[in-house]
Amino acid sequence: MVKLGQGMKNISLILGMIFLIGCGGGEGVSSIEPVIKIDDKEKKVDFIQFDDGLKAMSISKPDEFEYLSAGQATTDVQTAEAYGQAIPAIKGKFEKNALFKGGDHLFRNPHNGTGPLFNTATCQGCHVKDGRGNVPVSIDKPMVSMFLRISDAEGNPDVIYGNQLQTFGITGNGESILPKHDGAINENISYGEAYAFVEYETITGQYNDGESYQLRKPIYKVKDLSYGDFNETVRLSPRVSPPVFGTGLLESIPEEALAFYSDPDDKNKDGISGRAVYSVEPISNKNKITRFGYKATTTSILQQISGAYRGDMGITNFVEQQEPCTQLQVACLAQAQLEQNIQEFGLDLSKVSLAQVEFYNRTLSVPKRRGYDNQNNTWQPEVLAGRTQFFELNCNGCHVPRFKTQPGHASLLGDVTVSEILDSQTPISELGEHVIYPYTDLLLHDMGGQCADIYREGAQGQACESGSECIWVQKCEGLADNRPEGQATGTEWKTPALWGLGLVQTVNSSATLLHDGRARTIAEAILWHGGEAEQAKNNFIALPKEKRKQLLTFLESL
Amino acid sequence: MKFSKSFALSVVCAAILAGCGGDDGKNGIDGTNGADGADGTNGVSVLVTSADVITTNAQHAYAVYSDSLIAAKALKEQLEVFVAAPTDENFTKAKEAWLDAREPYGQSEVYRFREGPIDALTKNEEGSWTLVPDEGPEGRINAWPLAEALIDYTISMGGTELPEDATNLSLGGNLIASENENYAAINRELLTKVAQESDPETVQSAFAFGSDDRNVRSGYHAIEFLLWGQDLNGNGKYEAQRDYTAGHRKASDYFTDVGTCTSEGIVQTEERTCTRRGQYLLESAKLLVEDLNNVTDAWTPGQGFHYMAFTHADNTQSALNKILTGMGELSLGELSAERIQKSYDANSQEDEHSCFSDNTHRDIYLNAKGIQNTFLGEYTRFSGEALAGASLYDLLVVKGHAELANKLRAALEDTMAKASVIDTTAKLGSSFDIQIQENEFRPAIKATMDALAAQTNVIEEVMATLEVTNP
Repeated sequence: MVKLGQGMKNISLILGMIFLIGCGGGEGVSSIEPVIKIDDKEKKVDFIQFDDGLKAMSISKPDEFEYLSAGQATTDVQTAEAYGQAIPAIKGKFEKNALFKGGDHLFRNPHNGTGPLFNTATCQGCHVKDGRGNVPVSIDKPMVSMFLRISDAEGNPDVIYGNQLQTFGITGNGESILPKHDGAINENISYGEAYAFVEYETITGQYNDGESYQLRKPIYKVKDLSYGDFNETVRLSPRVSPPVFGTGLLESIPEEALAFYSDPDDKNKDGISGRAVYSVEPISNKNKITRFGYKATTTSILQQISGAYRGDMGITNFVEQQEPCTQLQVACLAQAQLEQNIQEFGLDLSKVSLAQVEFYNRTLSVPKRRGYDNQNNTWQPEVLAGRTQFFELNCNGCHVPRFKTQPGHASLLGDVTVSEILDSQTPISELGEHVIYPYTDLLLHDMGGQCADIYREGAQGQACESGSECIWVQKCEGLADNRPEGQATGTEWKTPALWGLGLVQTVNSSATLLHDGRARTIAEAILWHGGEAEQAKNNFIALPKEKRKQLLTFLESL
Repeated sequence: MKFSKSFALSVVCAAILAGCGGDDGKNGIDGTNGADGADGTNGVSVLVTSADVITTNAQHAYAVYSDSLIAAKALKEQLEVFVAAPTDENFTKAKEAWLDAREPYGQSEVYRFREGPIDALTKNEEGSWTLVPDEGPEGRINAWPLAEALIDYTISMGGTELPEDATNLSLGGNLIASENENYAAINRELLTKVAQESDPETVQSAFAFGSDDRNVRSGYHAIEFLLWGQDLNGNGKYEAQRDYTAGHRKASDYFTDVGTCTSEGIVQTEERTCTRRGQYLLESAKLLVEDLNNVTDAWTPGQGFHYMAFTHADNTQSALNKILTGMGELSLGELSAERIQKSYDANSQEDEHSCFSDNTHRDIYLNAKGIQNTFLGEYTRFSGEALAGASLYDLLVVKGHAELANKLRAALEDTMAKASVIDTTAKLGSSFDIQIQENEFRPAIKATMDALAAQTNVIEEVMATLEVTNP
């Protein structure tokens, strides 16, 4: 790649080129016309909105209850506990609140049967206070609330390491243990798989008004491979744990509403081609839109938490019944034999517990907006102006502001009580009929960028062929991870929700933004956008400082 | 109260005699109107008002927190005696004082989950007491599971002993043994600190992993751990099959004469660790007394700021809502779901409430007892003195819902009967951690959970009837 650092225009240019490549050489960025057309009189937005029976949103005038990010499912709490609140209608009922609390207890505490490989011992350990995880503060601290996915060039699991690098293993004494080069092979101890860390290069750029900025460009490195070398075409994808609040409401957005915003061939020629993908949901075997995971790989919260229990914590459960060892990880398999597997079917987690954790995740509320005066029904002018900027820049092209939920489906595990699973299946009505403002379309978008092939080097950067000295290095430009996953390509990412954005660091003061936590601020997160969001990003760079500040104030108010 | 009850009794008779043509149902179908007579009220006052019930509830709050405070002070004194002279006899007395202190506190927990002082008491910017949800002292007083591995020596119990973050302990061992200068002083801060961004990184990860408040280091259970130690088997090992013993910590863990201090069963070359362990113990007790003192003050009849607000005439409906919310939340969400079901489901010792001392049977019994106390307007003090006042039971009868009053009374009695089985089984030698692993005992635990669920449904019914349902 071209050397960066000559200002943002260079980066834009490069990303523009990548975008061209990504789209198979279709129309260039320059020919894309802005999508928003504003009628000066009415100030109505001319963007097409799914017809859910609601009045179309206006660019200048927020909806009457827009300050309630999740309608009647919104919480008033704005403190460090803002992401961990139950939906009010759940909190008001003893039985449902008890389920929520039971699930919360499980979410926060470690379980028997953790490992043999794991990233962290509790749900909360990754999703800190139901919010985002952290990038370790230094390279000598292991990743605890982030990890690297791994595969070959086609996205198939690595034959030895599977699809996720677990930093911790467990010894015969039940102590957690970090990776050690070839340790699992030579000593038959279930060491953690590999030690990943990140180093940042500073890149600089400039807004059109001359103000400069700096971004942290990550370089991912992996050392101490306990079970042997990675596959020849290895691909890695770092992820910081995303927040979990509000996900039950996202799950309750009708499929047709999401599909409506899908435009894979960019027929409306706005440069944005969101892609809805589908896969078969476990247990129901129904084909459903995949709306969860950074690359839209899972269909439901149940599927997501089951996978996390197994992959992140080594806790087998009703949906994911195999320990996280591949057949080539002999030490891991041997350690797995020592587990007590106390639950039904020899699993680590009971079905009741899984259902309670599912219930907990689904019924987490969303904090209300800041910047709104409840008494006088007025918004801070800065927030309003920023809101208009948001539309004018076409951020809403992917971050679709508003949806209306349908009643939450019944758990596929059956209705759960405090102490048992029943045969009945009752929908969670408390999730339905809410007008919500998540600011996402939950679709896949090409975000640009590209990566060099992963290579090995020594501690001083010298060439390294094999042995304990070798460090595996991944360098990418832009947001790409170059790792296909599910139906997503190495440059595609699912649009994350923006609600609660302004409280990210209130909840977890160490938290940063984007899928790998590289962005320290909201502005940095915007500046990393590329691909389909290239134009919106460039529009942001072109704004005068005052208007940029308005936009950021608006985003902080979410 | 005795006076008012008998006074009330005579008024009832008069009132009902007048209203029901001489058949107050007292004699059932033997009354003058036979089967057509009015439902009986068993002589309960018609004068009991919501305000009376609320006053009783507030007075009993003061009584139960006062008792908790008195017992915590006694515990603190006994711990001071023990740390100064760590004999086996003083060690036993210290442990007895801890068990005693749990008796009133367990009954106080029905005052949780209602935005009262225990959950919400804090100081505002001007330095005066106020209530802010989730800002209260409860987390410092009674939070569990404890992060015991962060406090003192432990062995692995299948990875479920906290801290959850495996990197925390790489900082140089637990806080008591640590020679890290950040933990040099054993003080309130060490026990309660939530790390700020400005703190050194080591402090951040030890005290509040990523702003997470999981690493509990203070309160009753910290003291419990420092007195009993991990609840391993008699052979000093962690085994899947637990035995009947509680923790086996030795008094020598507090010896401060040169060459006598023990840790992990090994004599230490320096007494530093034992000295620090003693300091940690006393600092924990000091903090506990301080917090309980503040909660008690807020409930002082006639002057405590919360007592005044709670009993204010304008707040009747919200006060009744709080009383019943506390009962319902403790019944199902806390006692049944968190304190019983979690350890029952996973056969998990770490999830039992008083896991070091094997006193969980009392936690269960006393929590349930507190709920029953509230409904009946009764509380037997630490001293043995029985308090009785206007009750929710009375109020329901007065408002014409005698049947519902009896339904809830029966549901609470059923729970007490079931919880008594757990309590007695433990007193006869099979502690709660044995009960969750043995098939012969598990049904009694399930029955207690079911009874708690059933009583919660009736509490909800009562809330609807009194029109104080949660919004």
